[in-house]
Amino acid sequence: MTPRGAEEASRRRLYSLIVAALAALALAGIVASFMIGRYPINPPQLFAALRDKAGEILSRVTRGAVGAPKSALVTDQMRAILFNVRLPRIFLACMVGCCLSAAGASYQGVFQNPMAAPDILGASSGAAAGAALAILLELGSRMVMVFAFAASLITIGLVMLVSRAARGNRVLRIILAGIMISSLCNAMTSFIKLVADPNNILPEITYWMMGSLAKTKPGEVLFALVPMTLGIVPLLLLRWRVNLLTLSDEEARTMGVPVAAVRTTVIVCSTLITAASVAVSGLIGWVGLVVPHLARRLVGNNYRHLLPASMLGGALFLLIVDDVSRNLLLTEIPIGILTSVIGAPFFIWLITRRKETV
Amino acid sequence: MRIDVRGLSFSYGARRVLDGVSFGVRSGDVLCVLGPNGAGKSTLFNCILGISRPEAGEIAADGRSISGIGARELARIMAFVPQSHAPTFNYSVFDMVLMGTTARVGGFSSPGAREVGAAEEAMERVGISGLRSRGYLQISGGERQLTLIARALAQRASVVIMDEPTANLDYGNQLRVLMRVKELSREGLTIIQSTHNPDHAFLFASRVLALLGGRVAALGEPREAVTEELIENLYGVKVRLRADEDGYMRCRPLLT
Repeated sequence: MTPRGAEEASRRRLYSLIVAALAALALAGIVASFMIGRYPINPPQLFAALRDKAGEILSRVTRGAVGAPKSALVTDQMRAILFNVRLPRIFLACMVGCCLSAAGASYQGVFQNPMAAPDILGASSGAAAGAALAILLELGSRMVMVFAFAASLITIGLVMLVSRAARGNRVLRIILAGIMISSLCNAMTSFIKLVADPNNILPEITYWMMGSLAKTKPGEVLFALVPMTLGIVPLLLLRWRVNLLTLSDEEARTMGVPVAAVRTTVIVCSTLITAASVAVSGLIGWVGLVVPHLARRLVGNNYRHLLPASMLGGALFLLIVDDVSRNLLLTEIPIGILTSVIGAPFFIWLITRRKETV
Repeated sequence: MRIDVRGLSFSYGARRVLDGVSFGVRSGDVLCVLGPNGAGKSTLFNCILGISRPEAGEIAADGRSISGIGARELARIMAFVPQSHAPTFNYSVFDMVLMGTTARVGGFSSPGAREVGAAEEAMERVGISGLRSRGYLQISGGERQLTLIARALAQRASVVIMDEPTANLDYGNQLRVLMRVKELSREGLTIIQSTHNPDHAFLFASRVLALLGGRVAALGEPREAVTEELIENLYGVKVRLRADEDGYMRCRPLLT
């Protein structure tokens, strides 16, 4: 290999290293998030609690052959907070951050549009309308997810149809179509809120619309994991080919990519993980736009590194924002409010800077 | 590799864009396709590349009809070099070239060491190794065109189809790109390219195909096929064709 080949190899190694560093940061973030909160837990206590939990599981597996001693450092209240409150919440923050960012990065690629993101394309509003309908009809948390996915997919389909029929700049067309269809979805959600029972259903919809990880139940988290995994695995497998879809369809096809099949798969998978995220956490905006762009700065535009970097960065980002949301004020700030406060100025920066740096 | 096109016809709705086009090219040929805008050059390329399905006629690669060949296998036979363009995202020149290897990578994987090697070699052949870390959007139009040619080489196809490879290039870059293309044909590639400049056909083509209104207006060696009447028919301008003292044909427009 030529020295120049070596230079290329070292650049790729650097990008892999950045992805690994993001993974390490996310892991450190998870550990820190266990300890931060209104009820602080120090590292020895966390360690003892984890050891006790491991012992408990081991004892259960071995049917009591191995004892499960409990450390005096940890109170039962601490255990409850760690495993029933913080664990599902941390897990959910990571999953939702990862999914919204992966969906944003993928939408940007297949729509050849740096401004694409689940919320801007209307996928989130669509999922919200579907989910609100399912809450109104009191169908239970699983149907909330099914409705969210179906509505989200219909929304994306409509956005694609409208943007194709419209005239003008391609990047703008799809954003305008997204704004329009989102507005329709929001109208539908508002109507659902209007007819919802103000005593129990309306507060549920309203609070959930703000975007929050607070009411996380372990069962729901595990159920959401199924569609999230089903969506993320194909995206990871197809990520090299997403690079070619950012070029023209003719080019991608002549380089051997079955364009329609790959694009459809990527859109359906991105929509699935968006809908699953919205169904469990409500509307958390901007993550899908901000994180992929930060990841592009770190590892470049090649999806081979960009997608993993976006996913890990998204998990880390939402984890930090959630830590702030539950610790900044005495009452918890819904996380959707915080991501908007961060995301909107970022968007302004994105649309005002020079084009070449995309 | 031999490409044979027989009786090719194509219509957009009621408008017939290609009408019974037939020709053949083989390894080592540079076929220049001349014709005014709207003569059917791009449609012809789209049909050969399998992007558009012809209404009638057949396209064969080494005697085998391409209509039954899937996108991935076709990509190993033919590569396409579009006009230099500005994609949405600023990929590095290296990544852009590496994309050419996709047809040789498993459906769910990324290019590995072997493909990286193929991309390196392709950049070396075109002479753009020094650009590898530059952003595709930051390099000049000529360099972009060379990058797209390197990408086609990384694809390791034996037929390369180029849509006006010299459009939007300055004089020096036009010649550099065309000389590189000529060298590639000497190495055994089959090249089909469209151009608007009759001089380029004389300098670089081994065969010329002239299209007018979707029909073949002329086909053959440049000196036989390209005549003063042909240029006037194609482009509606009067020109004079003369051999200069070195024996090269030159096309000079008659200014009135």
